[in-house]
Amino acid sequence: MGRDNLLYLLKVLGLVLVMSYVVDKIIFFAFNQISDKVYTGQSIGKLNQFLELKDSLDWIVLGSSRANHTIDPSQLTPRSYNMGLDGRQIAYSAALVKLLPSHKDQTILLQVDPLSAVSPAYDGSDLKALNTKYNRNEAIRAELNSMGQDNRFQHFFWSLSYNGMVMGILKNYLRPGYDHHTYLGYDPIYPTDQQQKIFQTILDRKKEVHCGSPSINPIYQKKLEELATYCKNHHKKLIVFSSPEYADRCKEDDVLLSDLMQALGIKYYNMTDFFKGNNDLKNWKDETHLSHKGASQFTAAMRKKLGLQ
Amino acid sequence: MIFNSTTFLVFFAIVYVLYWLANKHLKLQNGLLFLASYVFYGWWDWRFLSLIFISSLIDYYAALKMEQKPEQSKRWLMVSLVYNLGMLSIFKYYNFFASSFSDMTRMFGWEPNDLTLNIILPVGISFYTFQTLSYTIDVYRKNLKPTTDLLSFLTYIAFFPQLVAGPIERASSLLIQVEQRRVFRKDWFNEGIIQIFVGLFRKVVIADTLGIYVDAVYGDIGINNSASILLATVLYAFQIYYDFAGYSDIAIGTAKMMGFRFCQNFNLPYFSKSLTEFWRKWHMSLSYWLRDYLYISLGGNRKGIKITYRNLMLTMLLGGLWHGSSWNFIIWGGIHGLFLSIEKYTIDKTWFSGFRKWSVPAYVYTFGVVVFSWIFFRAQSLDMAFLAISKIVHFEWVMPYFEDINIMVNTFTVLGLGLLIDFYLFKKNLPLETLGAGYSPLKISIIISLLLVLISLFYSTSNNFIYFQF
Repeated sequence: MGRDNLLYLLKVLGLVLVMSYVVDKIIFFAFNQISDKVYTGQSIGKLNQFLELKDSLDWIVLGSSRANHTIDPSQLTPRSYNMGLDGRQIAYSAALVKLLPSHKDQTILLQVDPLSAVSPAYDGSDLKALNTKYNRNEAIRAELNSMGQDNRFQHFFWSLSYNGMVMGILKNYLRPGYDHHTYLGYDPIYPTDQQQKIFQTILDRKKEVHCGSPSINPIYQKKLEELATYCKNHHKKLIVFSSPEYADRCKEDDVLLSDLMQALGIKYYNMTDFFKGNNDLKNWKDETHLSHKGASQFTAAMRKKLGLQ
Repeated sequence: MIFNSTTFLVFFAIVYVLYWLANKHLKLQNGLLFLASYVFYGWWDWRFLSLIFISSLIDYYAALKMEQKPEQSKRWLMVSLVYNLGMLSIFKYYNFFASSFSDMTRMFGWEPNDLTLNIILPVGISFYTFQTLSYTIDVYRKNLKPTTDLLSFLTYIAFFPQLVAGPIERASSLLIQVEQRRVFRKDWFNEGIIQIFVGLFRKVVIADTLGIYVDAVYGDIGINNSASILLATVLYAFQIYYDFAGYSDIAIGTAKMMGFRFCQNFNLPYFSKSLTEFWRKWHMSLSYWLRDYLYISLGGNRKGIKITYRNLMLTMLLGGLWHGSSWNFIIWGGIHGLFLSIEKYTIDKTWFSGFRKWSVPAYVYTFGVVVFSWIFFRAQSLDMAFLAISKIVHFEWVMPYFEDINIMVNTFTVLGLGLLIDFYLFKKNLPLETLGAGYSPLKISIIISLLLVLISLFYSTSNNFIYFQF
């Protein structure tokens, strides 16, 4: 390769770097402008709404889609919000708690899944969902970096923050799916015939279950400990519950998690078998998600347990 | 090591700099390529490097012996065939034949012991076996002079851009390039870098996004309705195309940046008016390999019409088996063989040539047959394939089931983008391999920047390349 070719190669690579940096920033800032106005949808709207409301809330429900479809915050207190989101677990929830105002008394109602707590595969990658704010929020960046869940390319390509969300953001920007002023984060499920048919087909199959001998995932335990300490020191009351399952046949994980909660001094309600005596299919969308009918019963029961009657 | 990984990015950057630094010394440059290729493959499992090495040595010496002692050339060809096909049979087909044998004997009331073995399939074995076989067959046919440069030959077989999933490069094309000094060409660099990024976009954005819905539906055909299965099958047709074409693009582009020209492997195959045309555009390096080394070896169309159909069917059935050791792949090949035979039969018929003039029905027919055959390719077992077909046949007019509407919106968006690029290339009659030759550095950088932003915004979970399993 002669000098001329080498210069050409360096010129192309240099231009690619400069141009991609510029194009990336244009796209990033354009999406910042758009996404900041989005308050609906699961991609970013719900997080935006939470960040706007967080300082004024008394009760905050955190967890996965099972929290999202299970607890109706309007049944708790007037200033409650359900921040449950699909795929989110302890790492994501713990990060959100750290964004709450430190001196305000607030109650965190955290939904956990015992199966995830003992899963060797859990690595805290649910935190990656906060990557949308990586280049815009110091606390979130620190949390992602400390958990090793940052994307190394994101230091250069900021538009990675919006990976997989573009269409959702645009859709909610142009046509919001609901009025976010009246939305409290709870998404009721009204199962369709097709969903019920699928659920019935799954139930009809005989499933072999191997419970094994589980142990608590160390990352999960660390995040839980961290969360408990943080709440203790920052005027937060932490209450943890497991959401109902249609047929939970392994109990070892429940016992382990209960023991851990006790050891950490966390108030914990194991609600996995809440519907055991009344397994009406109409209460369910699938084995782990409640229908609105089931969720209403469950929220009412939780209200009672939490002394909110 | 896979192309869409940071490891490969670092690996390629180091190899690329060293490669051009060693440009004045061909032996040194080839030595570097050989070493890099073995590191590339060994990253997955170093133990299987011995298979490639022994295969290369046997074929190298077999070809030399063929030239030194022409009267023994058949014997040396047999040595090459037995070793290469033997290894392929053991690692890829042993369990299939053993379980098929057990199933057959069970039909006669005999219950044999479990004959299957716990064997790991070495990545890329089907590809490099065909590549190395083409060399000895070409030498045997006297279409090629055997090389006396062992290092060049070892490098040709193991050359990392095409080692694990093709294109299946023949010695008459690639070995000659390995033996000659390469020069840096700006037009090739431009074409190569654009093809790499288009390939990356096709793989990590389109194929991987489409794979989410396809995997969900084909993961449990029993619970999905006919509309969902049909949609997933159509999406799979595009997933496998963008996955494999994307891989080939990266391979071709990488090689081109190093001064090697590979054969074209995909040429917009879904824009085909017949299965015959489809096979001239889909996985071209394999289809031409099968034509030249199997179909023609069987007699091709020179021995009468019946033998021609037999040869066509055998070629496609074995082509199916090449993809994987299961009845699904054999049936997939059989479907293609059947329709290729029908097309061969009707090619001279005047009523059929009328049909072929209508573009839209011809495109729909070809796409329909290909999509139907993909059911066997994608389903996890023969039972699942038949269940999928039976559900599709008993079509219910219901909406396909989407667990997550956002994923579906992304799926159709990225598929639309991919089709837009393909449609542009089709309309302009422009092979992707030649895109960018005369572009200015600024234009190149703009195109790559836009592709990078699209990748940032839309890339999906990093699945392995589908063709790695073959």
